[in-house]
Amino acid sequence: MTRKGLNLPKERTFKGPALIWKRVLAFLADILVLNLVVFFPFKKILSKMIPDLKSYSEAYNFILANQSYSKVIVLVSVVMALFAILYFVLLQYKLKQTIGMMLFNISVISEIKKLSVLQCIIRSIFLIPIFPFFLLWIIDPLFMIFTKTNQRLSEVLSKTKTVETYII
Amino acid sequence: MKKNNVKSKWYSAIIIIALLALLSFIVSGFISLFIGEDIQDGNVALITVKGIISSEDAAGFGSTVAASQTIVDFIEDADKSPKIKAIIFEINSPGGSPVASEEIANAIKMTNKTTIAWIREMGTSGAYWIASSCDKIVASRASFTGSIGVIASYLEVSGFLEDHNVTYERMIAGKYKDIGSPFKPLSVEEKRLFQNQLDNLHNYFIETVAENRNLPKSKVKEIATGMFYLGEEAKRLGLVDVLGGKEEAKTIIKNKLNITVELVEYREETGLLDILGELSAKQSFFVGKGIGDSLLDTKNSKLEIWT
Repeated sequence: MTRKGLNLPKERTFKGPALIWKRVLAFLADILVLNLVVFFPFKKILSKMIPDLKSYSEAYNFILANQSYSKVIVLVSVVMALFAILYFVLLQYKLKQTIGMMLFNISVISEIKKLSVLQCIIRSIFLIPIFPFFLLWIIDPLFMIFTKTNQRLSEVLSKTKTVETYII
Repeated sequence: MKKNNVKSKWYSAIIIIALLALLSFIVSGFISLFIGEDIQDGNVALITVKGIISSEDAAGFGSTVAASQTIVDFIEDADKSPKIKAIIFEINSPGGSPVASEEIANAIKMTNKTTIAWIREMGTSGAYWIASSCDKIVASRASFTGSIGVIASYLEVSGFLEDHNVTYERMIAGKYKDIGSPFKPLSVEEKRLFQNQLDNLHNYFIETVAENRNLPKSKVKEIATGMFYLGEEAKRLGLVDVLGGKEEAKTIIKNKLNITVELVEYREETGLLDILGELSAKQSFFVGKGIGDSLLDTKNSKLEIWT
């Protein structure tokens, strides 16, 4: 039986803040895709340089003792971060969604006019592994939990929102 | 309509990811190219000691020199690297400067890694000094080893000068300042002094080998006639531990450290000139370049002490 047949009110949709658990899972899915596809060749370089160490302290000592290695490790890490940013920026700018977002039906919108590349870059700056950007790894989730709109700080700065479609 | 839209979004996403993956392969390839030297694949360093051992890196066109500083740097790099568990020294050298040999030998002793000397065609004199400072020595049955002795030589051309009416005007402050000058014969006293110095150096060489090989000094003194020994005899005399080659060297490490040996070669980058030099050296062997070299040496005769 159709809605028309029952003479029910028209189905209404609206876009509201995406649920936090969906956002977290979408982000984890994106990291998985990045690891499997984009980071793979870089991980090969890193594994060649860093021996199988048992703990983080051993790894830290290893990097301290091998200054020439540490330069390369930093270089590779920065390039990997740039690729991660490129992944988020390209997909969000072109499709308004990353792979993770597509899986959980959430998307990015701009609070002002059309979503720009700069806005996409700003909302992804937390991926830069250099001070002070990596502080956003702590500040961003806290912001997301304690704001009504579930926005991260980098989303507030970029004037963007992560939303999902609600049907009434 | 909505379904098609979703489908095309997935296609676009896959294309973007495929492009990113391709780009990451290209970029990582470039990084590997530029940092190739810093990346090590293996767990056992292979350091070559080839040619005349010298403290200087200046090899003549077509000749090979084992520069002590370069080799010491390699040893220190390998020692610092936690990936490297052992070092194999591939030795093919007739010896050279005692100072340069000692520098390399000392660097080997300072390292905490397992060290194996693998003597190929020749590991004599200064090269044996280096080999003896390793934990184990592997040599082929046909390898020349030993030759524990010191040689000093120069061409004395005073007769030649006299024949051509050239006089050597001797002005020195310090009685022995021109000892070893090619323009005058050595006096009996000078010869004695010279011999004393060589004997001291020889004695030091013997003591070092005895200590390194854990042999009685008297035994090393007996065999330190400057004579070289073939692998089998060298083993009998205690100068070599194992008869064999690269595989035997790897087996020693495998058994001692319980690891699968993967060699990583420590070497200087070879330039076009080096390649041309090596080609020239091979050609020259057949056309008797050695004769020309020795003639040239007559003009630039200087005193050289070799181990």
